[in-house]
Amino acid sequence: MRNELQETALIDRYLLGRLDEEETRAFEADMIMSHSLAEKVDAQRIAHRLILRFARACERSRLENIYRQLLNDNGFARQLKEIFA
Amino acid sequence: MNKLQEDAILSLYKDTFPDLARMVRRMGGTLEEAKDSFHDALLVYMEKEKTGTLQLHSTPKAYLLGIARIMWLRSRGKASLSPLPDGYHPADVPDTDAEEQEQSLLKGIILSGRKCLELLKAFYYDHFSMDEIAGKFGYNGRRSATVQKYKCLEKVRENIKQAHTYAK
Repeated sequence: MRNELQETALIDRYLLGRLDEEETRAFEADMIMSHSLAEKVDAQRIAHRLILRFARACERSRLENIYRQLLNDNGFARQLKEIFA
Repeated sequence: MNKLQEDAILSLYKDTFPDLARMVRRMGGTLEEAKDSFHDALLVYMEKEKTGTLQLHSTPKAYLLGIARIMWLRSRGKASLSPLPDGYHPADVPDTDAEEQEQSLLKGIILSGRKCLELLKAFYYDHFSMDEIAGKFGYNGRRSATVQKYKCLEKVRENIKQAHTYAK
């Protein structure tokens, strides 16, 4: 892997809590010394949040499909109709 | 979600949702609200199942009804202190401006790199192994899938940095 990708992998290990205590201390010291690294860490943390948002949006869309599929089931649809009559 | 998981969720949905709908109706809610709360509860259930942290003290149905009820009460501002299960982290950030900014950023990233996001989802959310990801996305083994994963992460990160630079 090229150096930049190795750095991305290292940031990931930090964000996912997979560095040991000594590695974490060294990494946090590097972040203090390097504004550029600190910026990358912040952006990567947001990237993780966006991936989670994207993943949940995908799963919600699958659940909507399941709901629509069930509305074609007469028994299920009738039950809902009676509850909200 | 694979076919087996989808069938299991469908069966759980069919068996559980009418009971939740009845409960929400009794408390003055709508069908749409019941559905949204139920989907939130299913997300919690599926995520905990994926990470192996689902601890059921009763049936999946009872678990889902309990969580969905909390979700519905929260959406009504009635249960702000009701705890969600351990290990479940809402992705939503409380600050509305930041939330909107992230939402619009995500839309842009989806347009320019959906495949990358799908790969990242497979790793970080679905917890597939790199071998499985290589097979699913057509890479020549785990090594090249791993390189691609980090390239994708770097690409998303660069989009975020650019958006923040423009926002300043």
